Amino acid sequence: MARRLPRRRRMRTLALLFVILGLPLAAANAQEADAPEGAIIDVVEMSGFSLYSLSPGLQKDINSLVGAPFSREGLNQLASRIEQEQPDVVAAVRGVSRPDGKARVIFLVARISDDTNLAENINARYIVETVDVEGPYNEISQQLRDDLQKLVGRRLDTEEAERLQERLRTELPGRAVARRISKGSQTGRIRVVFEIFEEPWIRFVPPKSKLVYHSQQGWSGVLDIPITASHSRHRFTAGVVFNDIDDLIEEYSGFRLAFESRVIGTERFGARLEFSRYNESWEDATQTALASSSGIPELYRNRLTFEPTATFAFNSSVRLSGGVSLSELESLSNSPNSQMANAWVLGISGDHLWKGSNEVRQRAEASYQLRAAIDGLGSDLVYKRHLGQARYQFDQGRSTAIASLSLGYITGDAPLFERFSLGNSTTLRGWDKYDIAPLGGERMFHSTVEYRFYNVGMFFDTGSVWDRNSDSKLRYSTGFGVHTDNFFLTLGFPLNNNHDSGPIFMAGVRF
Amino acid sequence: MATAPLVAQALTIRTVADALHVQARGFSFIEGPVLTRLREGRSVRIDFEMTVLSKPEGPVVKQMMQGFTLSFDLWEERYAVSRIGSPPRSISHLRPRDAETWCLENLTLPVSSLGFSRDTPFWIRLAYHVPDIGPEASEAPGERYTLRGLIDRLSRRREEADLAKSVDAGPFRLP
Repeated sequence: MARRLPRRRRMRTLALLFVILGLPLAAANAQEADAPEGAIIDVVEMSGFSLYSLSPGLQKDINSLVGAPFSREGLNQLASRIEQEQPDVVAAVRGVSRPDGKARVIFLVARISDDTNLAENINARYIVETVDVEGPYNEISQQLRDDLQKLVGRRLDTEEAERLQERLRTELPGRAVARRISKGSQTGRIRVVFEIFEEPWIRFVPPKSKLVYHSQQGWSGVLDIPITASHSRHRFTAGVVFNDIDDLIEEYSGFRLAFESRVIGTERFGARLEFSRYNESWEDATQTALASSSGIPELYRNRLTFEPTATFAFNSSVRLSGGVSLSELESLSNSPNSQMANAWVLGISGDHLWKGSNEVRQRAEASYQLRAAIDGLGSDLVYKRHLGQARYQFDQGRSTAIASLSLGYITGDAPLFERFSLGNSTTLRGWDKYDIAPLGGERMFHSTVEYRFYNVGMFFDTGSVWDRNSDSKLRYSTGFGVHTDNFFLTLGFPLNNNHDSGPIFMAGVRF
Repeated sequence: MATAPLVAQALTIRTVADALHVQARGFSFIEGPVLTRLREGRSVRIDFEMTVLSKPEGPVVKQMMQGFTLSFDLWEERYAVSRIGSPPRSISHLRPRDAETWCLENLTLPVSSLGFSRDTPFWIRLAYHVPDIGPEASEAPGERYTLRGLIDRLSRRREEADLAKSVDAGPFRLP
């Protein structure tokens, strides 16, 4: 909100403010001590403003100060009268003790519009007495706490306060941070209060934007453009998918549109509607494997999905979701015939963030989802898909440790987009999913442990994906790379691969 | 310099040299959540839009937008207003109605840019909105399931109305 002044003007403003704040007078020249009450005034000066711009009466009252005893209260009243006569300025007064015991009085006057701080908030003229945080003070880093306290004893710097507010938002993701000011215990002193509001009980589904490269599978791209409205209560997302081969067994392109509301009457209740249309293409390995398999639904060329869901939050950590997912799969070999895969969707999820001393942060997340396609919804494919996931992350300073576990179980005839696969940029890194299970599987187990230091990470992945009539084979991989929350550059090595395959290189951004 | 007020409904216009000014009785905006925020020492930006129309709801002849930043001096208990843009102008020690009037006085359109003769009727739409008051300004945590929270929620529609307002008036003619 603050306007930027040209550099030259800002310098002039800074200089002017330095004068008006009287700080150099106080700090740089120890000999110029504050004048004591009752000292005889022998000089009156006005800085930054012409005395003759004031009314004759006020000029006379200021001039008559010479020879009168120094009175802080009386001088403040005169400064206040200057402001009332000239409402586009702020005025302060300083009394300096002279060597002969007399007082020198300086009226320091500046135009409000010459200073961005004052123009932004007139209370920037006052000295900050205290800085308080209303909310989870213990979750704020010591460095930020110290920086907040640096506001004390100085005039309010609204730009610095804005920066600190932004840092609070960064340290407390998902929480709203507001700032208010109130009167201090003495005239001319103010109290700054930063208010931290609880995290929303229902959160938006994070954007899935990514650009990922996998040396065996190629490029995958997704661009989600979220548009938030009405105080972040509602969000519309338009997404485009470019040859995403990273997520599923199929390679798909298309678009999706989603509307989410996380407050419907109450913050406990939210809803989401998603519509998507994708065109699929299939790897040779998948087509060959399908030709020799039975009981797996056919390939499709288009997937059209409409998925309305509602979410209820028990508290800020635990949420229950339910809805339906209606998908039409246009046959690849027998177009335009299609099959419906219509499922009830039920999920429960929970997460919690702990922030302790020494900048320790721990986050735990767990979820379970059931997708049940049954006759009642007019589904041609009847199946149930269970997926449980858990993740734990520990951060301390530059160190991060991550552990995650996923378990999946399918009964019935699930379409290929529902089948589990491992061996991409996030699971069994170092393996190619088409070497492990080109048709995916009905059972899945996967775990990861990863350690990062200064964004250089090492990991160990374990996983298996198999069908109900086949044996499970546990696979391992390890690797290292540069891993941040948004960027990764990874070299993964399969550990128990009987084939003579080398490491797999992966890189990408997720945002 | 000519000053010629013309009364039509809620708005009054006057011209000073080449500037068309508008005055709006009862067009208050220092109230509701804006007032609450100001009293808490926060600043509030208010964006105004003055539109000249050739017919009621008709084509736009000219439009101007101007933003202001308001704050409330906690110790003087008076309002300060700064006009955003160039050249910057600021004023303090104002009572609420004077602060509102000052904003409108600094909202002008050049008469020459309208291209109207004295007999040409025109209409004016005056609107404002408050762009940056988030939910935290009107909703305190922990009050969502209290009696006060319920009252707040029931009155939210009214509060949201306080964050934007528009008034149309006319016909006017240049003096």
